[in-house]
Amino acid sequence: MNRTKWLIHPVFILVFSILALVTSLSLYIYWYIEISSGLKLIVERFNLDTGQFLTSQTWFVIMVLTVLVGVIIMGIFIIFVYNLKNLRLYRLQHNFINNFTHELKTPVTSLKLYLETFLKHELSRENQLKYIQYMLSDVGRLSEDINRILNLAQIESKNYTGEYVFQSLPETIEKFYQNNAHLFRNCAVQIHFPEKEPYFYRFILPMFEMLLMNLFTNAIKYNNSAIPRIDITFEKQQKKLIIRFKDNGIGIDKSETKKIFKKFYQVGHADDMSAKGSGLGLFLVDQIAKTHKWKMTAESAGPGKGAIFNLILPLRS
Amino acid sequence: MEPNVKKRVLVIEDDNHIAEGLNLNLSLQGYEVGIAMNGVAGLQMWREWRPDLIVLDIMLPGIDGLSILRNIRLEDEKIPILILSAKAETDYKVKGLAYGVDDYLTKPFSLEEFLLRVDRLLKRAPWSNSSDVFANGFSEKETNFFTFGDNQVDFKTMTATGKAGKVRLTEQEARLLKLFLTNPGKPLSRDKLLQIGWGYTKGTTTRTVDNFIVRFRQYFEDNPKTPSYFISIRSIGYVFYVDPVPDKEK
Repeated sequence: MNRTKWLIHPVFILVFSILALVTSLSLYIYWYIEISSGLKLIVERFNLDTGQFLTSQTWFVIMVLTVLVGVIIMGIFIIFVYNLKNLRLYRLQHNFINNFTHELKTPVTSLKLYLETFLKHELSRENQLKYIQYMLSDVGRLSEDINRILNLAQIESKNYTGEYVFQSLPETIEKFYQNNAHLFRNCAVQIHFPEKEPYFYRFILPMFEMLLMNLFTNAIKYNNSAIPRIDITFEKQQKKLIIRFKDNGIGIDKSETKKIFKKFYQVGHADDMSAKGSGLGLFLVDQIAKTHKWKMTAESAGPGKGAIFNLILPLRS
Repeated sequence: MEPNVKKRVLVIEDDNHIAEGLNLNLSLQGYEVGIAMNGVAGLQMWREWRPDLIVLDIMLPGIDGLSILRNIRLEDEKIPILILSAKAETDYKVKGLAYGVDDYLTKPFSLEEFLLRVDRLLKRAPWSNSSDVFANGFSEKETNFFTFGDNQVDFKTMTATGKAGKVRLTEQEARLLKLFLTNPGKPLSRDKLLQIGWGYTKGTTTRTVDNFIVRFRQYFEDNPKTPSYFISIRSIGYVFYVDPVPDKEK
């Protein structure tokens, strides 16, 4: 390993500073005892009044020094942990920028390609219409990406201005699916309506729709099955309502079921180019759930075996 | 270009809008176009359809573009390959060029520039092929003949001479062996070996690689149990050294 790099490694700096502090503490104590015993000798030799000086303060001094040094070590440690967290976030952000530019460049490339084709060639009306449709959907992709970033900024800063509505969740999901059916044309989406209860909840409608959109598109995007399936079920537990979004997609590795909700986190690796997407979708989902004081969890039987996303809400009586 | 012999262009691109746009323009330009939406299909089409030029994206599902490039270059040094990628960093360009790409365009690209470059690459290809007796690449001496230790490998006749005597190499053995011989000292992970050597995606059993290594060791190592050329790296894969590694360093 590179020698200079090793010297400035944060872990090394941490260990080194703690060692230095502990050494200095023992030196303080050693010198203190040395000096006070010397002082004692002088006091005895000159027959001075012993009560006027120190005597039994030794343990008190040692204790104070130890506590202070302990506080400093804790401080160093906290700074160290923060530094590590920052470093991780920085790396993720870097990945995000890389991947997101890719995500933005693809529709731009397609748009430019077709516009230049239109400039260069006289196409039949039929073809023109077909490619104009392509261009429109590319513009749609772009504005979706831009919206995602804007929404994220708003939700994160808790500035999202949306009206709360009081609606039945199953019906809202059904309506959302009907309105966006054209996006899920080749998929089997099934909403298993609960038997008795309508499950009325208070929530911000556009935000909830954003959450659904992210869960639905993920289930389809990360799916190799011939017909992507999404099954939505409602499960009542003692104090909770769990809405399950079950798909037959590529699944999630067990070790990643928590991490996927982190900001900028992506399954796969940036260096072998297997990571795709922005790393924002599920973070957004999680944030939206949190804004409503709900919870999101994910589970999967493993890669290739589909995934289940659970939206957990408190049960309303 | 003769009007009745259409040049074939294979486009490996996972975004179907871009793929179709390229298809449209290249067809209007008078080429025959094949589209592959992922790496596995791309490699298969390259083998069966025998295109004259390949347009390659880097970010692909399954096998990434650079692995496809390396896979193709193991067998065919000459086919012109143009990378079309959103990755604009010099790093990727350098990597691509090092693995033997002929041209690199970043997305979004200009259509006119793209078509001119394709045209240029296709025009130039027959010139460098003209001195080539063997149509499938494998023509230059230095890429065909390797020696390490007392072993010799000749990719032209597909034979290897080593401890085990003269062996005839299978096509797959030759491909994998070439990957090792052209990357001495560079650790190669099992996943990468599968992707580049076989064109498999991840998740396929990596045992296959181990079996081939066992065979290579029997062909070339003085003592297959303590190899000094084909070395395992724990939990990563393998590395090949031109000079035998002394025992104590293993």
